[in-house]
Amino acid sequence: MKRVITGNQAVAYGVILSRVDVISAYPITPQTTIVEELSELIASGRLKTRFLKVESEHSAMAALIGASTGGVRTFTATSSHGLAYMHEMLHWASGARLPIVLVNVNRALGAPWNIWGDQSDSLSQRDTGWIQLYCENNQEVLDTIVQAYRIAERVKLPVMVVLDAFVLSHTSEPVEVPSMEEVDSFLPPFCPDYPIDTQEPRAYSVITTPEYFLEFRYKVQKAMEEVPEVSKKVDDEFRSRFGRGYGAIERYGKEEAEVVLVTSGTVTSTSRMVIRKLNEEGWSVAGLKIKRFRPFPSEEIYRAIKGAKKLAVIDRNLSAGVGGIFAQELRAALYPKEERLPVFGFVSGLGGRDITPELIEEAIQYTVEHPRPEEEILWLGLKK
Amino acid sequence: MSKQLTFKSASEMPMISVSLGDMEWNKTGAWRTQRPFYEDKTPPCSAACPAGNDIVAFIQKIAKEDFEGAWNIIKEENPFPGVCGRVCFHPCESKCNRGPFDEPIAIHALERFVADFGSCLSRKTGKAGEKRKEKVAIIGSGPAGMSCAFHLARLHYDVTVFESFSLAGGMLRMGIPSYRLPKDILNREISDIEALGVEIRTGVSLGEDLRLEDLKDYQAVFISTGAHRSRGLRIPGEKEKGVLSGLDLLKKINLSKRVKLGDKIAVIGGGNTAMDVARSVIRLGKKATILYRRSREEMPAFEDEILEALEEGVKIRYLVNPIRVGQKDGLKRLECLRMELSEKDESGRRRPVPIPNSNLFIDSDHVVIAAGEEIEASFLPEGLEKKEGIILTRRDGSAGIKGVFAGGDLTSNQRTVAHAIGSGKKAAMAIDCFFKGKDGEEVIIQHLIGEGPSLSIFGYLHPGERLRNSHVVTFEELNMDYFEPAKRQGESKSAVKERIKGFKEVSSTLSEGVALDEAERCFSCGTCNECENCYVFCPDGSILKREELFPHQVDYDYCKGCGICFTECPRGAISLQGEAK
Amino acid sequence: MKKIEIPLEENLGHGHLACAGCGAAISMRLTLKALGEKTIMVFPASCWSIVPGSWPYSSFRITAIHAGFVTAGATASGVRAALDVRGDLETQVAVWAGDGGTFDIGLQALSGAAERNEDFIYICNDNEGYMNTGTQRSSATPLLAWTTTTPVMQPKENPKKDIMAIMADHHIPYAATATIAYPEDLIRKLQKAKGIRGTRFIHLFSPCPPGWKMASEQTIKISRLAVRSRIFPLYEIENGRNYTIQEESRIVPVKEYLKLQGRFGHLTEKDIETTQKNVDDTWERLQRRARC
Repeated sequence: MKRVITGNQAVAYGVILSRVDVISAYPITPQTTIVEELSELIASGRLKTRFLKVESEHSAMAALIGASTGGVRTFTATSSHGLAYMHEMLHWASGARLPIVLVNVNRALGAPWNIWGDQSDSLSQRDTGWIQLYCENNQEVLDTIVQAYRIAERVKLPVMVVLDAFVLSHTSEPVEVPSMEEVDSFLPPFCPDYPIDTQEPRAYSVITTPEYFLEFRYKVQKAMEEVPEVSKKVDDEFRSRFGRGYGAIERYGKEEAEVVLVTSGTVTSTSRMVIRKLNEEGWSVAGLKIKRFRPFPSEEIYRAIKGAKKLAVIDRNLSAGVGGIFAQELRAALYPKEERLPVFGFVSGLGGRDITPELIEEAIQYTVEHPRPEEEILWLGLKK
Repeated sequence: MSKQLTFKSASEMPMISVSLGDMEWNKTGAWRTQRPFYEDKTPPCSAACPAGNDIVAFIQKIAKEDFEGAWNIIKEENPFPGVCGRVCFHPCESKCNRGPFDEPIAIHALERFVADFGSCLSRKTGKAGEKRKEKVAIIGSGPAGMSCAFHLARLHYDVTVFESFSLAGGMLRMGIPSYRLPKDILNREISDIEALGVEIRTGVSLGEDLRLEDLKDYQAVFISTGAHRSRGLRIPGEKEKGVLSGLDLLKKINLSKRVKLGDKIAVIGGGNTAMDVARSVIRLGKKATILYRRSREEMPAFEDEILEALEEGVKIRYLVNPIRVGQKDGLKRLECLRMELSEKDESGRRRPVPIPNSNLFIDSDHVVIAAGEEIEASFLPEGLEKKEGIILTRRDGSAGIKGVFAGGDLTSNQRTVAHAIGSGKKAAMAIDCFFKGKDGEEVIIQHLIGEGPSLSIFGYLHPGERLRNSHVVTFEELNMDYFEPAKRQGESKSAVKERIKGFKEVSSTLSEGVALDEAERCFSCGTCNECENCYVFCPDGSILKREELFPHQVDYDYCKGCGICFTECPRGAISLQGEAK
Repeated sequence: MKKIEIPLEENLGHGHLACAGCGAAISMRLTLKALGEKTIMVFPASCWSIVPGSWPYSSFRITAIHAGFVTAGATASGVRAALDVRGDLETQVAVWAGDGGTFDIGLQALSGAAERNEDFIYICNDNEGYMNTGTQRSSATPLLAWTTTTPVMQPKENPKKDIMAIMADHHIPYAATATIAYPEDLIRKLQKAKGIRGTRFIHLFSPCPPGWKMASEQTIKISRLAVRSRIFPLYEIENGRNYTIQEESRIVPVKEYLKLQGRFGHLTEKDIETTQKNVDDTWERLQRRARC
């Protein structure tokens, strides 16, 4: 059934359809309408889910760690400071191999105080052992949540589903909402590997000395390495059932283009429009959307950019001292390859400023015109 | 027992760090620098009991409502609990560690309770099995002789007791009025001894009817003829008519012979005999006045006896000393001097000295002298050595002639029932050693309670049983955290009005409930009573509730030696020693 | 003397790594006896991250979930929620947190859970400092005590936080103090807590021989003296309002308690007076609350 809903409503629908058992969350703009929507659904009796309205994001994640250890499907949503506050527990969730799904509505971190879109929050959590999936539109948000549980519960790693503040979270779009039955047949109930059984008591997350810690971390990495194949299978099955799929990345625009523009989140939608226009004007440019940031889809990207001469990346985030984080990751991914394409790292739109078609075009134009970037960070739209 | 687990590859390991085994393989006992262990120590009551009763053990049985068990424990050491529970001066109570806390345990009352309970039991003592060939003769059926007979019978000897009076019991029967010790109690305990196969021949006196040479069939003899001769005052007139010996008077009364007495009786002396005489006289409907040359504080009679005598109307005049027995108007006229107390003498009491020209006169129908008793040595066989009023014996009770042993009042100036019982027991052990060629003195030293001189026969009869070590538990070694003050329970006494009507027993046996309450008060010094503190407070779960020699065991595989069990044992039944390096 | 009756079930196995004479090991052993095997216990970081043994072992015979230091109240809420969803209303969820994990870093999560009246038994094992990390001060460290971060030249300047008052003011159905020298009281309170739904808080006082610089065999003695000196009164609070104080009949001056512990070795007579006054004031305040 098609509905016109906001990104945050799409999150709520995803949660309902995934038959989540326990939700735990703390309000923060721009995530709040998710928890409001879920509270309404539970209060009205339409959703049979325990919602722990905890006193902080740290506790939200801790509560889910408890619940997930207890063998049930769990969900939380947050943003920005809230995600940063969870940081410690994000490590814990992945180390304990708990298939928790978290929605992060991208928002800048203070100071200065800011409530608008910026990927620095989720990208700051890139080393926590979470799978990260970035969404471009509200349909993808809903679909990704359902897929996220399949992946998480298969590889036993938590998944962070990311959407942009306001541009998605508070913007209504038509979304095809699948039926419960359809999702049920796609997403089986969660069965933990080590269920709690007081008849056969066990201790969980026991202190582990240097003798074995490395091996447990090795297992986390091995699970991450399974993700490309698992998520592809899940996406393929999803596509066959629902007619929609996303892949880890998506290449669009002119084939065998010289310049490939790399984006994530909603900037991709704007870029699609710009590139379509530039292709029509004869520019040799294509677009590459990165949906899966962790594990980083190096192989997929490498295959997708074959033939390209230069890469442009627009990062709506900043790792001060280095630059945009997608650019960094991309450079690192390409380093072992024979062809080390120049990566033009644009930083733009921090703190929710619009990344307009004009700015995107400016970035492409710069990339086309320069053999190599003149600076490590190319500021886009900066008031110099 | 769990094993240590090792993993050679990540693939052998589970996905997450869930536990796969326990820690039992980790023997934390290796950390220990000090080692706790269970060890029964000697309670001060037992160490102070001349009869060698295992007091804590029987009280703990009472506390568990195992009255028969308590009776059996007492009977291991002492055939006269009914007697001792009534008339023993209970030195155990003055040493009781509960004393410094609130009041001592009423041990005598508990012993009496058990004894009276025992009377309801079928005679568990039974015959002592097949007898040995050796025969032992015992002269005198008082507490020493009967105790010796009792233990020898348990050691399977053929024992014959010779008694000069018509009834057995010695001083217990002759010297103690039945309002203190009813005759049926005494009869019962004597017949319990007879039930072991002991033969008692009454009306046979040593010297007159029987000489040592007549006892050739007996390979050993125990002489316990007691001290029956009243000590005189050595004053003019004391041999005159109307002047009686206290013990003679008591014997008459106790054997229910008719006694003709005037209305007013003066009793001279401050000991228990004087009290017994005065109180008996009161019961015969007469007036009694005790004359004592020192003050109340120095009086050797038991405090309870004095109090009861006063309650019953006995008058006591202190600091008066008779110097002459005269006559006036058909009455005896005692001339006395008033006394005052000066410095302490060798007995630790203040010495009375006469006040010059303080003569006074006291008139009465009869004068009774109760100034102590001494032994009659004239009929004793030759070869026994007498010194300072007693027959000398060696530590094992042997008396200078091969196979002849002696005990009781004859050999000691500590003339109490309990001492007599203890000396009889000692002689029984020594006689057994004599027959078996063992060193009796050494055996006795091995079985002393604490530092002695109290003696236990239990370990001698039951080798291999759990025994106490000789350390006597002090108050400081106990943990008072576990005890609340609780009132000492005592026997109730009948009203004075009823008491003086006759010779019915004054005090009554504790009821079961009161006895349980009183037994609960016992600290059980040095003896585990399974209070469970060690088990409850062990941080390492290393106290095993597994009955072996003791009710609990320390699991040395895991005990870290923290010492909590040692500190929290309320009664010093756990010891701690350094672990060998 | 009355025999102490406790359940025989042992849910803390042998071979654990608690120091000799560890009060908390006694607390744990007794607590697990009272709670029984149908218990899931959540452990934020504390000595009990170490004591049960490292992977692949555990000396617990109950289900134990190690949790983040800050998170006891929240993690337990989540475990409870999972059990509720699964329809398991029988299994008890309990928390075992240290004083640091309760009074300090875990207070927010605990407060949140208590305000929501989450259904679990929260046990604060109070040894008055960060003992696992080597005896640093916490807000449960008593006035004037030595710790490695409050050296004798500058001992702790502030009195101990009144966690029971804080918990009472969350209006939880049950809060109680308990300590190992009173094992039957401890077990009774835990068993009583088991029969109640909602947040139940047990403040469990466990002497720490190395951290308090005391002899290992004195653990119970000091626990008892804490009660007798009113350093640590035993009481219960129902619904944040109804107080029941288990009055000790033998009251001792606080000095009797202090003198057995090296962490108070530097105290002058005046310091002891100050401590006594602080204890008296706290006792009076408790009584005032109890009367209301």
